[in-house]
Amino acid sequence: MDADETGRPARQLVVWRPDQVPAQHDVPGPGDLRDGTTTGRLLIRSLMRAQLGLSLMCLAVALTVTASFPVIAAMVPAVGRITVAGLPLTLVVLGFALYPVLFAVGWFYHRQARQLETRFTELVDPPRPEDPAAGRPGPDV
Amino acid sequence: MSDAAFGAIAFVTLLTIIVGARGIRVARTPDDFMVAARQVPPGLNAAAISGEYLSAASFLGIAGLVVSQGLGSLWYSVGYTAGYLVLLLLVAAPLRRFGAYTIPDFADGRLGSAALRRATTALVLVIGWFYLLPQMKGAGITLQWVLGTPYWVGVATLGIVVSANIAMGGMKGITFVQCFQYWLKLCAIGIPALVLLFAAGHESTRNLMPDRQPVFARATVVRITEPTEFTLGRAATVTVTGLLDNRQFRHQAVRLCACRHVAGPGTRAGFGAGAPVPTSLAMAPSAQLPWDSPLLATGTNGAHPLVATYGVIIATFFGAIGLPHILVRFYTNPDGEAARRTTLIVVLLLSTFYVFPAILAVLARLRAPELYLSGDSDSIVLALPSLLMPGVGGQLLAALAAAGAFAAFLSTSSGLLVSVAGALSHDFMNGGVTSFRWCAVAAGVVATGAALPVGRFSLGLLVGWAFAIAASSFCPLIVLGIWWRQLTRAGACAGIVVGGGACLAAIVATMAGAAARGWSAVLLGQPAIWTVPLAFGVMIVVSLLTQRTVPGSVEQVMLRMHLPEKVSAVSPGGRPPGTARYPRRSPP
Repeated sequence: MDADETGRPARQLVVWRPDQVPAQHDVPGPGDLRDGTTTGRLLIRSLMRAQLGLSLMCLAVALTVTASFPVIAAMVPAVGRITVAGLPLTLVVLGFALYPVLFAVGWFYHRQARQLETRFTELVDPPRPEDPAAGRPGPDV
Repeated sequence: MSDAAFGAIAFVTLLTIIVGARGIRVARTPDDFMVAARQVPPGLNAAAISGEYLSAASFLGIAGLVVSQGLGSLWYSVGYTAGYLVLLLLVAAPLRRFGAYTIPDFADGRLGSAALRRATTALVLVIGWFYLLPQMKGAGITLQWVLGTPYWVGVATLGIVVSANIAMGGMKGITFVQCFQYWLKLCAIGIPALVLLFAAGHESTRNLMPDRQPVFARATVVRITEPTEFTLGRAATVTVTGLLDNRQFRHQAVRLCACRHVAGPGTRAGFGAGAPVPTSLAMAPSAQLPWDSPLLATGTNGAHPLVATYGVIIATFFGAIGLPHILVRFYTNPDGEAARRTTLIVVLLLSTFYVFPAILAVLARLRAPELYLSGDSDSIVLALPSLLMPGVGGQLLAALAAAGAFAAFLSTSSGLLVSVAGALSHDFMNGGVTSFRWCAVAAGVVATGAALPVGRFSLGLLVGWAFAIAASSFCPLIVLGIWWRQLTRAGACAGIVVGGGACLAAIVATMAGAAARGWSAVLLGQPAIWTVPLAFGVMIVVSLLTQRTVPGSVEQVMLRMHLPEKVSAVSPGGRPPGTARYPRRSPP
């Protein structure tokens, strides 16, 4: 790649490694995280808060769905006498029905957490065109 | 019957030893011994985790508890699965990124305190040994049932096989063994459950109906092998041969009242179709809860079942995070994202497995209610196939179930013994391969000795207690350590000592028979409901009081745990302080 037809000066190849770039205070980047600047601390805190919020929301959903059953059954005894296709409701819920719910919550969380991390990575460490490995989306489940 | 079952057990044991022994040639450094050096892909790793996790309690204990105590005991299997969901939500990826082998490594690396390290090591030993007891008991009753050997023979056999195998092969062999054993266990419980379900057909579901005492679906002759005390739900006429209520009968029809009776050994009792099923007092049926109640009973009178149910839910949901043999498996994931995927697959694999103990338990209640007289509910999975399917088919299914049960004891106790031996050799010895081997043998001997007197506690209860201790000590340590910067050494120490200590004290009091009824029975028998909040509370309050001692490395450690690996070249590399225990060797 020497000179091009439009007459602009030839491009130079710049060797750039993110761990050699000092923290810049206008654009947050990996250097901020490494050096523990205020921006870096804010960045990692925001990621942690987002992740924890997602986790606690999923945990609340899972706990509400599963742990509400004993209270409901204790307060409304009629629930315990329901049968589904000849099987007691307790057997259907505890034996089979709760497992798909648990897995669905886990699957939703897994997707969302991966997206959060991908977005965070794109924010602080944008993909570089000269490195084909960078910025590739994460593998699917 | 015992020939096929013995052959199957011997096959599983030999295969475990052979696959484990193949690891010797590969395992050279302590790193290899512990975790197979981070080379395990998620699918394989998830099967290995599930194989290690599905213990005697899952394979034998849950079906037994459901038959004897009622459907509410299914909370154990739901909780064991949900424990992995909670682990996925709160700790999977950060824990992997932290890169610690063991819980003492995590505590030391996060907070940098020798005292905390010693406290966590001591708790690893307590939880590990507590969890080993039911595995040993399971082996004892399985060999007792299959071969008729005394209880201690099975306990000693398992202790010797597992200690020797680990001392020789370590984790490298174990990863493949564990993975194989998940699929073996799934087949060993799934095939009998499905075959028996289809063989039994959709017959009368009378015994499942709410508020019903179980009845015999067809005329059945029950043979009583040991002196048994039993009760009848209502009066019935029974044809008795042998000793009953201190009177000798010779094929005579006897009218039995709805009260307590004593049958001598060798007595045969013929019940007509529709007769009430006698229940052995050793089954400790709950007097207050109907069988299909979604609540769990503890103790002999089953007081305050709602509190007991939530005690089990809290212990199992939050206990999986703190189990000492689980953390080491997260280290084998390549990165945090893979750790999450592995955990999600584990939830799927566990869900699949836990459908089958429920099916077997329901089949036992419907079609083989004479099991209520057998006294030991933990052998139901083994006894059911030959009761429902006389002939070769039933024998083969029983052999498969026995092999699966033995696989369960082998895999769980191997994983636990690796953790216990690892903790012993890191923190009390020089940490080399030789000391790891000796510690494995020593830990195996201690567990074998301790398992001999626990025969009277049900498997499900014993494992539930190990979860309760883990949930009230290590769960708050790991969760707060990952998400809360203000955690201090003093807070962490106080939390695990107070929470774990209170939980252990409550369990020991229950085992000693301190409280049999009322509130004290529930709060001591299912202590997690108060010890888990207590541990979190103490940890937070003491940390807030000692804020000046927050470790200086906290920002670096948080960065390491929460930053995605894709963000390049940020952390200074290597492990956090306190975890660099072994000189890493470059691969050949």
